[in-house]
Amino acid sequence: MKRIPQHPKPSLAETTGPRYWRSLDELSETPEFQEYLEREFPGGASELNGIDRRHFMKIMAASFALGGLGFSGCRRPETHFLPYAKSPEQVIPGVPTHYASAMPVRGEAIPVIIETHEGRPTKVEGNPSYKPYGGATDLVTQAGLLDLYDPDRAMLHRSNGRTLPRAELDDLLAGLGSDYSSRKGTGLAFLAEPSTSLTRRRLVDQLKKDLPKAIWAEYDALGDDGGEIAATRLLKRTARPQYAFARAERILSLDADFLQTEVGHIRSSREFADGRRVEDTHGKMNRLYQVEGHLTVTGGMADHRLRLATSQMLGVAIRLATDLGLSVDDAPEGAAEALEAHAEWIATCAHDLETHRGRSLVVAGRHLPAEVHALCFLINQHLGNVGQTVTFVGLPDIQGVSLAELAESIRTGSVETLVILGGNPAYNAPVDLDWTALQKSVGNVIRHGYYNDETSEAADIHIAATHYLESWSDARTADGTIVPIQPMILPLFDGLTEAEFLGRVLGLQTPDPYSQVFETLSAELKGADPEKAFRRLLYDGLLEDSGYKESRKSISASAVAKFLAEAKVRAGPSSENLEVRFVGDYKVDDGRYANNGWLQECPDPISKIAWDNAVLVSPRLAREIGIEPGNSMVQVARKDPNPGEDGRLKSPMVEVTVGGRTVGGPAVIQPGLENYTIVLPLGYGRSKTGRVGKGAGFNAFAVRDSRNLYSASGATLSLTGATKVVANTQEHWSMEGRAIVREANLEDYHAHPEFVDHLGMESHSPPIYGKDKDLPLPERIIDTPKGNSLYEHPTFDGTHQWGMTIDLNTCTGCNACVVACQSENNIPIVGRDQVRRGREMHWIRLDRYYSSGSTDNREIPEDPQISIQPINCQQCENAPCEMVCPVNATVHDSEGLNVMAYNRCVGTRYCANNCPYKVRRFNFFDYQQRQLNKLYQGPLAPKGMPELLQMAQNPDVSIRMRGVMEKCTYCTQRIEKAKIARKVEVQDSPDVAVPDGTFKVACEQVCPTRSIVFGNILDPKSRISEMKQSNRDYSLLGYLNTRPRTTYLAKLRNPNPEMPDAGRMPLSRVEYENKNHVGAPGENHGGDNDHGDHEAATEGGHHG
Amino acid sequence: MSKIFPKWSNRLPLLIVVFVFLLAGAVTSGITYYFTPKYTRIGYTPQQPVPFDHSLHAGELGLDCRYCHTFVEKSAHSNIPTSETCMNCHNQIQTQSGLLNPIRESVKTGDAVPWVRIHQAPDYVYFDHSVHVNRGISCYSCHGQVNEMNVVSHAKSHSMAFCLDCHRAPENHIRPLDQVYNLDWSAGSKSKQVDQGLEKVESWSIKPPQSCSGCHR
Repeated sequence: MKRIPQHPKPSLAETTGPRYWRSLDELSETPEFQEYLEREFPGGASELNGIDRRHFMKIMAASFALGGLGFSGCRRPETHFLPYAKSPEQVIPGVPTHYASAMPVRGEAIPVIIETHEGRPTKVEGNPSYKPYGGATDLVTQAGLLDLYDPDRAMLHRSNGRTLPRAELDDLLAGLGSDYSSRKGTGLAFLAEPSTSLTRRRLVDQLKKDLPKAIWAEYDALGDDGGEIAATRLLKRTARPQYAFARAERILSLDADFLQTEVGHIRSSREFADGRRVEDTHGKMNRLYQVEGHLTVTGGMADHRLRLATSQMLGVAIRLATDLGLSVDDAPEGAAEALEAHAEWIATCAHDLETHRGRSLVVAGRHLPAEVHALCFLINQHLGNVGQTVTFVGLPDIQGVSLAELAESIRTGSVETLVILGGNPAYNAPVDLDWTALQKSVGNVIRHGYYNDETSEAADIHIAATHYLESWSDARTADGTIVPIQPMILPLFDGLTEAEFLGRVLGLQTPDPYSQVFETLSAELKGADPEKAFRRLLYDGLLEDSGYKESRKSISASAVAKFLAEAKVRAGPSSENLEVRFVGDYKVDDGRYANNGWLQECPDPISKIAWDNAVLVSPRLAREIGIEPGNSMVQVARKDPNPGEDGRLKSPMVEVTVGGRTVGGPAVIQPGLENYTIVLPLGYGRSKTGRVGKGAGFNAFAVRDSRNLYSASGATLSLTGATKVVANTQEHWSMEGRAIVREANLEDYHAHPEFVDHLGMESHSPPIYGKDKDLPLPERIIDTPKGNSLYEHPTFDGTHQWGMTIDLNTCTGCNACVVACQSENNIPIVGRDQVRRGREMHWIRLDRYYSSGSTDNREIPEDPQISIQPINCQQCENAPCEMVCPVNATVHDSEGLNVMAYNRCVGTRYCANNCPYKVRRFNFFDYQQRQLNKLYQGPLAPKGMPELLQMAQNPDVSIRMRGVMEKCTYCTQRIEKAKIARKVEVQDSPDVAVPDGTFKVACEQVCPTRSIVFGNILDPKSRISEMKQSNRDYSLLGYLNTRPRTTYLAKLRNPNPEMPDAGRMPLSRVEYENKNHVGAPGENHGGDNDHGDHEAATEGGHHG
Repeated sequence: MSKIFPKWSNRLPLLIVVFVFLLAGAVTSGITYYFTPKYTRIGYTPQQPVPFDHSLHAGELGLDCRYCHTFVEKSAHSNIPTSETCMNCHNQIQTQSGLLNPIRESVKTGDAVPWVRIHQAPDYVYFDHSVHVNRGISCYSCHGQVNEMNVVSHAKSHSMAFCLDCHRAPENHIRPLDQVYNLDWSAGSKSKQVDQGLEKVESWSIKPPQSCSGCHR
């Protein structure tokens, strides 16, 4: 019998009160959004486009006929076992081997453990031995694996259009070194990316010795670090600040996205979350003040957020210094004065920082100019934070000259041979350098790169590089700890590592990368036997106590004053003087990951756009330039009453002109931006890339010049009249129902510890667990007749009962779990077109809600607050999906998992229809069977995912075919593996329960903030049991009596009541109470609502 | 009308019904017999590139199963021995035998010997050898009397029902851990097997999974 979840209709007060909204469509209640709510899949997702029924029948008939022909092949085909001829060391067929390595990224390396199956790397995990990261990784590290198997990577060494055999290549490189050695390197130039590798450093030092006249330049489009420049000048040695968020109770961040894009962000996230984690009712929380122009992931976590353009950060720092009693007489005129309107905000914040001396922290974004950093250092020193929450660490000296200097040498004609190692300057160099032309003007350009990209196109010789998973190398983490990089697999396409490249140019005896890395690292290792010590290092994956040394010099106020005297003041943005902010994209960075399908398909954490970038504009700017239809409010999509194409968000195309150059792209209204700041995410619009990155977005590098690398003033914006459909997932999978996200202020939580029970429908309906509410958790799960419901329920007699909690208080919305899950569970990418139709396959999604204190839902709030909620399959005990499956393909197991037997599924999609959480995903096409550019072909199309891509698949998880439903399984393969390992271990003992902490599920393992906890609820000592006992624990849509095994811990915010903007932002508990308390008591609608209120008051009284 | 339809045609509807029932019955029983693993798999005895004789090696010579299938206790997959494993003994005995040429060739070139697969679980079934052999299920229960086979053949059906029979009543197959690789072991009688089986199921806490998640991922 089908059970239909009945959502009560919202009361009038609810629809008119302040509320949470995911998109502008939801806010204005457009018919399109209503449709999203009512459907299991977005409109268009379930329809066959372009094929009518008759045509469909024809195809089906043809395929049946073909099936009939196949009957002759009914005999069992003979298949073969191909065992190894020689027994390889350490390989047990069927058991994965794990190796420690590290993924080099900007300014650091992420220590990782790689899972390999018979020599094939399939999954990247963080290395838990590296304590600051504790086994966590991020979005990009997870997706890095896919690049190894990219069928569009450079597979051949090429010279002027001809394939270069390896022997010739070796001769070429050796010849390069010997040719120039007589001239001491005159005419030879190298351009590389900055690197933390010690081997590279050693080789470059030798290069400078052997070829002293050769130019060594380094360039990274987003590599500038104002903090490093300031620290280096103030401390008179190469240094950079390092922040310890663990000790910071009050944090002021100036335009710093320290939770997502800064160097060492995994550690920052981890420590920041630890400072926010509230274990019991009396828990303390840190407080984050964020001043920013863009809306970043960090901004989403802020307790107070001030929207100011990037150009105004100097003013904020000066004001702050003045408020704290520091003398800043040399500060340039006008910067602080422009911020008169925010004087109180800054002063109150300064006061809060001052009352937490030594436990506060002021942090500025890397991209900000050095003077802002210098002033922040002085402020931190004044607050007693240096040595506490901020330290300065000495770095090795910078070896390279800048790109501009190299460009100058090329222009003067002193470069004959240019060697470009990595990077992609032809795409991302500042536009005023006109790099491509410059590069072409050099006689001989040799490019060593992973892709055949824009830079290779303008080079004479392209040499294929290796992936880090194929390389011997070494690197340093954000705090300087030395980590080895070891290959998991031989180079798939005979690529060359950077170390070998340089080694061959230098004519070393043993240019192979292993010997070089061994040579470098054995100098760092102690112990008599370097071989043994090296093996130990490879096993551990890091060298203890090898971090950068702390510098204890103090910052002198006079040196900072000198800095300030040089500072330039920029006028704040206004409607005539728009400010452009260039940001590295959260996913593709500066374009280097543009051909990575996992990253392209992952929605942006804040804007929720996948596969493209967009010109982000504030609601006010949008209104002013006329991106809003006549007298209707808000909506981009509403301008056209019939948005046409697939019913998806149609964005107007705009042109942004800055510094005389123009770039065009779709405009998307992003609430939370500074009113006159336009945000241009970099990294898209690649002109030469693979099949995945082709045609994604527009290239914002086209307007980025070397004077304004991160923000530029004086921009103009105009509508072109055209529109573009952007793949925006923000409305997909919308759920109807109240109090989905629950939150309160810390103080309010102290007063009402049980507040989550009084939000949402549960406060009006009979208690779900009835009189068993207070039973111990395990009993409640196993024994309680399921909420007196009439339906038959599975018996939970398994050894374990699995469950999960997600702490909304610490989740930053970084999206690492989305890609980790994709990698672990063989989730296909579906492409831009399918995402537009709402067919993305991610098993875990992050719902991003906006809310503002306003009750006027006709205006887009300019400054909303953000709440993030990760949603995966809730593993309901009374699962609505199971009741409607006609073939028993989705059933419950004895350990509480809602399991999916793919081979039984016939694809009716009834389950998705009946799922109130909308977590079920359907394979509309054979995504796993097709070439990347032919994902949408029908059943008769030629099969064949590139073999290379198949290698990325996890052999422990089934590949789902077209027509099959799938969803989060709680990583059932990991559960089974742990259970089997336990049984193998205990042999004939009855102690088969898997101890807590033996294994982690993929999303839990990757989470930098430890927000996701998974485990056995039957074990009263397990972490999960502890979490579920929290009074902030609530079930999503709990009133449906689905009894989800995944529960959420309500979000808390910690605003400062003295701040001028305190109380302006919503605090869902209070709003919820107010909303349900409209009008005089005794009015008609008061019935149930009074109940909620009453209970809240009395309960609160008891506990508070 | 009787000219067109003779009298006997009055019985036609009944005959048709009976015929349809008979036909359906025949088709059903035919399919259940001929199209299920019991018929299609049992007895499958392909010719191997090297006529390895289990009855000689495992039976007469008494080699333990784990001498060749080394990782059966550790891995989900019970490995087929590498060519080097064969050569451990055969570099001493039968060094000139032509039958072993493919093995010698393989060791020399590094290419695999293409052994023909006999037992094959579908891709969506994640069977794990290690958990079975470490918890008292013998090779015999699924592979039969291999130590008496000259040429290995498929002895049991390996259908899902075959798996579930045992998962529902493990006492019929469970045996002492030190007898797992002794293919000749027997408890004595059916009732003795069940008695000692039940005792082990109880004291080892044997709860074989019967939900989908046990084998399908």
